[in-house]
Amino acid sequence: MKLIFEYEEETTEHVPDVDDKEEKRGGEAVEGITIELPKDLIRKELALPNVSEINVVRHYTNISRMNFGVDLGFYPLGSCTMKYNPKINEDIARLDGFKDLHPLSHESCIQGSLQLMWELEQDLKKITGMDAFSLQPAAGAQGELLGVMITKAYYKQKNEKRKKIIIPDSAHGTNAATSAMCKFETLTIPSDSRGNMDIYKFKESLKDDVALVMLTNPNTLGLFEENILEISDLAHTNGTLMYCDGANMNALLGITRPSDQRFDMIHLNLHKTFSTPHGGGGPGSGVLGVKSFLAEYLPIPRVIKQQDSKFVLDYTKQQKTVGTIRYSYGNFGMLVRAYCYIKSCGSNIRKVSEHAILNANYLLSLLKDDYELPYNRRCTHEFVLSSRKFGEKSALNIAKRLLDYGFHPPTIYFPLIVREALMIEPTETENKETLDRFAAALRNIANEIKENPDIAKGAPYTKLVGRLDEVAAARKPNLRWTALSQSDGKEDNEKKLYVEKSVKNSSSND
Amino acid sequence: MNYSPITENDREEMLKRIGVRSINDLIMDLKPPLNEKLDLSKPMSELELLEHMRNISQKNKIMKYFIGAGSYNHYIPSAVNHLIMRGEFLTGYTPYQAEMNQGTLHTMYEFQSFICLLTGMDIANASMYEGSSALAEAVLLSSSYNGRNCIFIKNGLNPRYLEVLKTYCEGADLKIVNEIDHNTACVIAQNPDFYGNIENLQYMSEQAHKVGALFITCVVEPTSLAILEPPGTYGADIVVGEGQSFGIPVNFGGPYLGFMAVKNFLLKKIPGRICGMTTDSKGNKGFVLTFQAREQHIRRERATSNITTNVALMAIASTIYLALMGRNGLINVAKLSYSRAHLLHNKLKSLGFEALNKKPFYNEFNMKAPSGSLENIFSNLLKNGILGGLNLGEDNILISCTEMNTVQDIESYVSIIKETAITK
Repeated sequence: MKLIFEYEEETTEHVPDVDDKEEKRGGEAVEGITIELPKDLIRKELALPNVSEINVVRHYTNISRMNFGVDLGFYPLGSCTMKYNPKINEDIARLDGFKDLHPLSHESCIQGSLQLMWELEQDLKKITGMDAFSLQPAAGAQGELLGVMITKAYYKQKNEKRKKIIIPDSAHGTNAATSAMCKFETLTIPSDSRGNMDIYKFKESLKDDVALVMLTNPNTLGLFEENILEISDLAHTNGTLMYCDGANMNALLGITRPSDQRFDMIHLNLHKTFSTPHGGGGPGSGVLGVKSFLAEYLPIPRVIKQQDSKFVLDYTKQQKTVGTIRYSYGNFGMLVRAYCYIKSCGSNIRKVSEHAILNANYLLSLLKDDYELPYNRRCTHEFVLSSRKFGEKSALNIAKRLLDYGFHPPTIYFPLIVREALMIEPTETENKETLDRFAAALRNIANEIKENPDIAKGAPYTKLVGRLDEVAAARKPNLRWTALSQSDGKEDNEKKLYVEKSVKNSSSND
Repeated sequence: MNYSPITENDREEMLKRIGVRSINDLIMDLKPPLNEKLDLSKPMSELELLEHMRNISQKNKIMKYFIGAGSYNHYIPSAVNHLIMRGEFLTGYTPYQAEMNQGTLHTMYEFQSFICLLTGMDIANASMYEGSSALAEAVLLSSSYNGRNCIFIKNGLNPRYLEVLKTYCEGADLKIVNEIDHNTACVIAQNPDFYGNIENLQYMSEQAHKVGALFITCVVEPTSLAILEPPGTYGADIVVGEGQSFGIPVNFGGPYLGFMAVKNFLLKKIPGRICGMTTDSKGNKGFVLTFQAREQHIRRERATSNITTNVALMAIASTIYLALMGRNGLINVAKLSYSRAHLLHNKLKSLGFEALNKKPFYNEFNMKAPSGSLENIFSNLLKNGILGGLNLGEDNILISCTEMNTVQDIESYVSIIKETAITK
């Protein structure tokens, strides 16, 4: 595939052609205005390509065909909840009344959006048992960051010096990275033989300098934390807050609530549990829910429903607010889609989690004889297998071989505590036949490796590119196109348009 | 509505295979159990949902916008939306499996290239959440680079960006200070600034570099880069900003498109995903995520940031936008935005508005309305379907134009003000 920068042709006119009009008027003016700027402000060149619409459309359509998504097939990427993204929600998020609304519009013009945000918050409160939500965080990691900022502000207010955050060794890397962003030290607790956070090690570490315990529940092994109530109680007795990384909420809808596990805060990934599309890496939404005693720390503004049923953005009532973490109120387009999803499922939302758990357990039952199950327990919505009996790098090779079978591979080498980990999350939107085919593929690959390990090592064979060299990518970084990176090494002068030609230099004499 | 395809028959067979009698046997570990059904509304069919959502969306009122202040209402070519709605782009995730996700990676590489070309920088990442948090991340990067903890901000930063910066600084124990010295981690300047002023910031970068601080330029209205010298030419070490102007609707504030570009020496400090070109086993060109050792899933507490999910689809949208516009189209957007803003500015000046910009401006400007008139003007404009600008208080107004504000719109804006003045 060419790069878009390698095209150069007539463009298609999407906005009025200014130069055209200038010619007709015989001057430099655009609608009576002459563009005049000091010379040191005027751009000298702009090396963007001019491309016709048909070739832009073909370029990106063909590029898209080198991609894989939930719409194309099974995508059991553990921890990411790659479920079906309803099409109607795409249409609804693009209704003019939503997409064309300026965030700084007058309050009388934004009543629909505020209603949606307020109602979404009410539903999320019911689902999690939390008392208040901020819809600002753009992704789970930003939700965590907000949670850790609130933790910091909470202890500052109480005048307590707590500098440590406890996380289990099965935690997402974001938990540790987030703690570091707010200058907390992380204490990593090992997992026990059942995949829980080791309760004895936890007790040893729980000193009066511990601010927060961050747990993913169910954890990244797909196992429910069996000692959760004891952990929460110990933490609270110690004056420590409990944070739930809600990445795995897809297991819990309508079955149990994080508040009942006595968490004080939880972020939800709307792009996981509530079906907003992953978009090749985002946008997401990582809304944060808290118990009432932390509500005053949430960012401003808050959406409030007044007695007259009008909605307002309130900037004043949050006495202890940590501030604000983005320019606007949240990834509103994602909030629309999640709202639609919750309204679609409604009071039957428990079925989502039941089927997610059913699918995971069924798939596990098909695979546990051919791959190792490091923690032999019933899983929740996902499970982790190990391929270590097939040797070093076997998880990578199996993943690459799965590409030839037309499946997206599971998450590999995570969680870090399982060697050669394959983390599999089927979600509830797959049928039995798909799960059967996937299990058959993984069993085939296991047999193949036993007979001839080189097959998997050379995979994939059926994609447009073979196995890509990541080491070379880092050794000789090529991170962008430049006119000079063309094969002939010649600069493409045509690509340079001298902006000066059409912008008058106000500091010159004429 | 139910998006799960599992039939009752399937369910029975699956339970049998697992070796349990019912789904309840599978969820016994999940405690404490919720004994009642969640009090959510009755499930809606697609038809009912659409009706319900149309009603809500119609409670919003869309205006003709003469407001920017961080969100700009530019024209979006139709093809952008058609292309980003393709399931191949829309429903994949971060391209961890490069061989299967060359589409996202190819577009990321082009996105990084576009951002570098426009900003005049060496390296760009594959996106940040949005402009203000991207700026905050640039500050964290600076502090981690030179180990300093003071931040200097030139006047004219978007106040909402400033608020976000303060929140992040509080978390990271950084201080915002009033002078540049040897404790300064970075110097920040927005260009064009919040009030629309543009200037060559060479003198700011020199001041920063003299004391060993990094110079960060923040670009909130990136169409300006079509006709303005890029920050790379006046000494920026980091350029961050908001890419929403490039093909993304105003969306009530999100999702938007944060971007970050740096000079080569900061490569290993930059947060977020980076795509690089490489080759496969047969020597074919291909793309992978690279320099991942900076990131949280590998480096954990020593990562350059916690960012994971970014706004990849918005980066794809902007890449397609820039390809469709090309240099001719983008320059037209910039020239139309410039000329429409100046046209309105001149007309308001002749109506007695005081011009407050001390420097040249691009498509946003600051004026003072005749004393006591602004509230009336705003409400009359609103009645006529126009959002007249951002009220900064004390008759101070921030107005923005793009190619979407036609000459006719500008004339009706002006005539409504004239009428307001008469009826006052």
